[in-house]
Amino acid sequence: MSTLVYMKLLEQTPAKYDRGMRLLTLGRIDAIKREIADAWVQSGHAVLEIGCGAGALAALMTGRGARVTGIDVSDPMLTVARQAAPGAELFHMTAAEIDKLGAGRFDRIVSTLAFSELSEDEQDFVLKQAAMLLKPGGNLIVADEVRPVGLGARAIAASIRLPLAAITFLLTQNTTHALRRFESRLGQAGFRLVARKRYLLGTLALFVAEKG
Amino acid sequence: MWDLLKDVWLLFGRLFPFPTRPGLRRIGNPDRSSPVLVTCNFELTVREVIKTLERDGIAAWLLVAPTKGVNVWCAGGAGDFTADTVISIIKTTGIESLVDHRWLILPQLSANGVNFWTLKERSGWNPRFGPAHIKDLGAYLARNRWRTDPEHRRVTFGIKDRFVMGTNLGFNVSLLLALPLLIASAWMPGLWWKTLPLLFVLSVASSLLVFWLPGKIGVQKGLSLGLLASAAFVVASWIAWPLGPWTLLAWTGWILLLAAFVGYDMPSWSPLWRQDMKELVAGIKTTRVEIVPEKCIACHLCDVVCPVGVFGFNAATKKYEVQNLDACVACGACIENCPTDAIVNNFREGVCSCPTCYIIEGVGKIGGRKGKQPTTETSPVAVAASACDAGACGCDGSSQGR
Repeated sequence: MSTLVYMKLLEQTPAKYDRGMRLLTLGRIDAIKREIADAWVQSGHAVLEIGCGAGALAALMTGRGARVTGIDVSDPMLTVARQAAPGAELFHMTAAEIDKLGAGRFDRIVSTLAFSELSEDEQDFVLKQAAMLLKPGGNLIVADEVRPVGLGARAIAASIRLPLAAITFLLTQNTTHALRRFESRLGQAGFRLVARKRYLLGTLALFVAEKG
Repeated sequence: MWDLLKDVWLLFGRLFPFPTRPGLRRIGNPDRSSPVLVTCNFELTVREVIKTLERDGIAAWLLVAPTKGVNVWCAGGAGDFTADTVISIIKTTGIESLVDHRWLILPQLSANGVNFWTLKERSGWNPRFGPAHIKDLGAYLARNRWRTDPEHRRVTFGIKDRFVMGTNLGFNVSLLLALPLLIASAWMPGLWWKTLPLLFVLSVASSLLVFWLPGKIGVQKGLSLGLLASAAFVVASWIAWPLGPWTLLAWTGWILLLAAFVGYDMPSWSPLWRQDMKELVAGIKTTRVEIVPEKCIACHLCDVVCPVGVFGFNAATKKYEVQNLDACVACGACIENCPTDAIVNNFREGVCSCPTCYIIEGVGKIGGRKGKQPTTETSPVAVAASACDAGACGCDGSSQGR
C-alpha cells in the first residue's frame, strides 16, 4: 500500500499537469502564454516550441498565423496537444535532440515551464542548440520559475510559495523548480538578453533573448 | 556529519527521491574502448555502482541519467527512465566524442521504461541490458560484455536486501499510520508510541522471515507472523509483566491486526512479488501475460529483460512461450520491449483491468463462493465485458483480450 501511494504520486496526466501549473502560478502562466503569442509571434513566423505540453501556447500561435513545430516527451500530452492545436506539427522528441530539426530554420523558439524540468547540463546543451536553430536576429523566449532577487523578496516569496507548492502537490502531484543563473547561461550560449519581465513577486520570469 | 545523516535517511527512506547531479562520471582511467554504462540519478545507486566498479578495478564511463532522483526500477515504471532520458544524457554529456564504440550497457531493471528499439533507432547506439544486480556488474563485464548469463538476469531477495527493505517498510507504514495513531491516542493514551516500534519490528521480521513464514505471500504470511509475535508477547508478559486477561487479549488481537497489515504491504517491497489486492486477498491473479505465437520472432529480448524468468524457449516450435506465469511481477518490461507486440497482458478472460471490471468481478466472486453459480449472461466476465468500454474509462485499452 505504501508503494502504491508512492506510485500514485509519480503518476502524471495532462489534465493534472495543467491544473497544477495554473494553481502554482495563480493563473499567471496562461496570461504569459497570451503575452508571448501577442507580442512576439507574427503571422508567417516559423516557431519551435520546446515542451509544448497540452498545446495551449501552440494553439495561440497557430491562431496568429505562425507555422508552429512543437516537441514534447509525453505522448499523453502530445495527444491532447494535437487536438488543441491541429495546425501545429508536433513531435515526440527530447529537448536535447532539437538539432535534428535543422540549423537556421526558426524565427522564434519559445518555451514555458519546460527548461526548469531539465538538468543544468541539459539546459546549457539545449540553449547552444537553440542558438544554432534560430535565424539571424531570431528570438528565444522562455517563461519559467526563477528565484527572486534579494533576501527579503526570497523570504516573502518562500512564505507564499511553500504552502502553495504543498497544496498543488497534494492536489495534482506536480511542482516546478526554479531556474538558476539563467541569464548567465543565455550569455554563455551566445544569446543577448533583450527583455526580461518578472511576475508573482519575482518568482516567475519571462526572458526574451536574441541570437548574438 | 552530513554524510552520516544522508546514510541514515537512505537506510530508512529509500522510497523517496534522493537526486545526485546527472552527468558523466569517469570510473578509473577510462579510454576510448572502455565500456559505457547508464544508471539513474538516485544517489545511493550511483554510489553503489561506482563503489562496485572501483572495487573490481574496472575503468568505465558512467552516464548518470536525470531520473528525478528516483531509483532505476521505480523510475522506469513511472516513465522517468525511458529511451528519452538515455538519449538526453548521451547527447548532453558528449560521450560520443569520448569513445570509439557505440555499445551502451543499461541496468536490466530499466527495461520496464527504456524501449530497446526506440533507443537503438533514435540514438544510433547499440543498447544492451546488463545484470539485474549491481554486484554482478564486474562478472558481467569481465566474462562477456554483451550478454548476460541467465543467473545475472534474475532478481534475488537476499538477507541484506530483506533487512533493508524491512526497515523501509517499517518506516513507511509508520508514516502512513502515525496520524491515525496519534488521533486514537487521545482515547487510548500511549497507543502511538507503543504501536510504532511494534510496527517497525513486525515489518523487519516479516521481510527477513518471508521465505519461512507459513501461508501464501501477503496477509496469510502476515497472520503467521502475528501468531508467532502474539505467542512471544503472551510468554513475555507471563514472565516479566503480568497483564489482565482482557488487556492481554486486546494486545494479542492488535498484534495480529498489525502483522496482517504489514504482511499485506510486504510484497510491494520485494522484487519477487507484487502487491495486488485481488491476488493477495481473493487469490485471483489479474496478470496474465501471453505470447501470441504467430507474432513471436524468437528475438530473445523478453527472456533477457524478464527479471523473474517467466519466459522459456520451445525448441519444437522455435518460439518463446510463457513457462512460469506465477513468477510474473507485471513489471511490463517484456511488453515494452517486444518488437512485434507479440506479448499481451490479457489480465482476465477478455476483460481489461479497469475499476469497473475489478468491482463487478469481485462481487461475482463473492456470489460464487456462496454457491450461486453465475449464468453465462450474468457471469462476472460477461457482465464486466458488457459494462466495460475499453479505453473509455481511461484504462489501457490495449489490455483488452484477443
